[in-house]
Amino acid sequence: MLTIAASSGLSLFLPDTADLLWSTVVLVILIIFFAKFFMPKFNAIFDERAKRIQGRMDEAEKAQAQARKAREEYEDKLARAQQEASHIRDDARAEASHIISDARSRAEATSRQLTENAQKAIDSQRDKAIEQLKSDMGNVATTLAGQILGQKLEDSDVQSDMIDSLISDMEKRGNADKADEKADAHK
Amino acid sequence: MGLFDLGAGMTLAAGMKMPGIDEFLPQPLLFAGTPFAITRITLIRLIMTAIILIVLGITAHRATLIPGRWQGFVEYGMDFVREQIAVPALGESRADRYTGNLTMIFFVIFLFNLCEVIPGFDMPATAAIACPLVFAIWSVISYVGAGIRTRGLGGFLKEELFPSGVPWPIYIILAPINLLEVFIVRPFSLTVRLFANMIAGHLILAVCYAGTQFLLLSAQPRALAGASILTLAGGLAMTLFEIFVGGLQAYIFAVLTANYIALSTPETVSGDAPEQVDKRAERSAQVAGNARQAALATA
Repeated sequence: MLTIAASSGLSLFLPDTADLLWSTVVLVILIIFFAKFFMPKFNAIFDERAKRIQGRMDEAEKAQAQARKAREEYEDKLARAQQEASHIRDDARAEASHIISDARSRAEATSRQLTENAQKAIDSQRDKAIEQLKSDMGNVATTLAGQILGQKLEDSDVQSDMIDSLISDMEKRGNADKADEKADAHK
Repeated sequence: MGLFDLGAGMTLAAGMKMPGIDEFLPQPLLFAGTPFAITRITLIRLIMTAIILIVLGITAHRATLIPGRWQGFVEYGMDFVREQIAVPALGESRADRYTGNLTMIFFVIFLFNLCEVIPGFDMPATAAIACPLVFAIWSVISYVGAGIRTRGLGGFLKEELFPSGVPWPIYIILAPINLLEVFIVRPFSLTVRLFANMIAGHLILAVCYAGTQFLLLSAQPRALAGASILTLAGGLAMTLFEIFVGGLQAYIFAVLTANYIALSTPETVSGDAPEQVDKRAERSAQVAGNARQAALATA
């Protein structure tokens, strides 16, 4: 038993020719399969994947840069627009105050003009009225004088009567005026 | 005697048939007596190879930029080899060149080991010494080839056998030792570590299940049948453990190959600073040491 065990135990570690052959065949097939097909196939995929990821990352970076640039541009534009707006507002305000003062001065000028015109019209009316009055009074005086003169020419008695009556009239009127004055004073 | 006797399918007094090493020296099924004899283990290896070629071939053929679940799983395995085996040993700059080879070694040895727990196979495809041996020889070819490619045959042999910084008389003993180390010890240790681990794993599983069968069906007194639950639970636990060991052995094999490649290709060629190389060599040695310890622990 022991000798069989020893001999077969040793034979366990002695490679069998046929087994060596088949092991070698299998190994060579597997080496070729891995070296020529399996690894190249997967390495190509790994490379392609890495390239894609790299490309994706580059793209993302580019997009980010673009976005940043667009934002900067936008902010720049916004700032410029705000500046412009404030400028326009200032202009508008200045113009408005200008317009207001202009309008005010124009209104003042107009009103002054109107007042002046009115004054002038009033003055001319008054002058005209005075003129009219003067001419009317002249006429009346002339007429009156004519009448007086006419009566004097007709009769000296009449003339003296008339002068008398005129004087009395004037006296009467003077008394009456005095009486009126007294009455007013009494009142 | 008993469990420790590796006698061929010895029979205990009670009639329990113990698994023995005959299982690892099966009779040929086809072409018996010719150099093309195919045994059960060879057949398992051929079938597993066909499965690998078909499944991974279809996976690679249909591989897309956006991976599905299965492709993601395969890619996870490839990433594991690159990030956990190739890059720590070789550094980013050299890893690319050797990652393919290390992926092959890790994937194939792991799947061959996994045959141990696949129903119907129930035997690691690496459980005949020829298989670990040719893988170890391939490992030697890989690191010697890498050394020759980067430094030329003369340069490689000179640096491997006559490392600088050693007084010349030491070379008298150092050169033969290094020669043995590079061409004999390394492949031998790779072979035996993998082979012995898989043999041991299979034996443990076989004992667990044979014991379950024996206790359940023919143990006397019958009250012992209940104990079969324990052996069955042990068998299930050991199955999980053997999956782990299969992965671990494949990992160790790939890590050691990566470190041997790193040792035979000086990193300064690719433009790294010398102190970095020192650090990496230190780390490589440490990783190798850890792997060796783990291997011994599981063996």
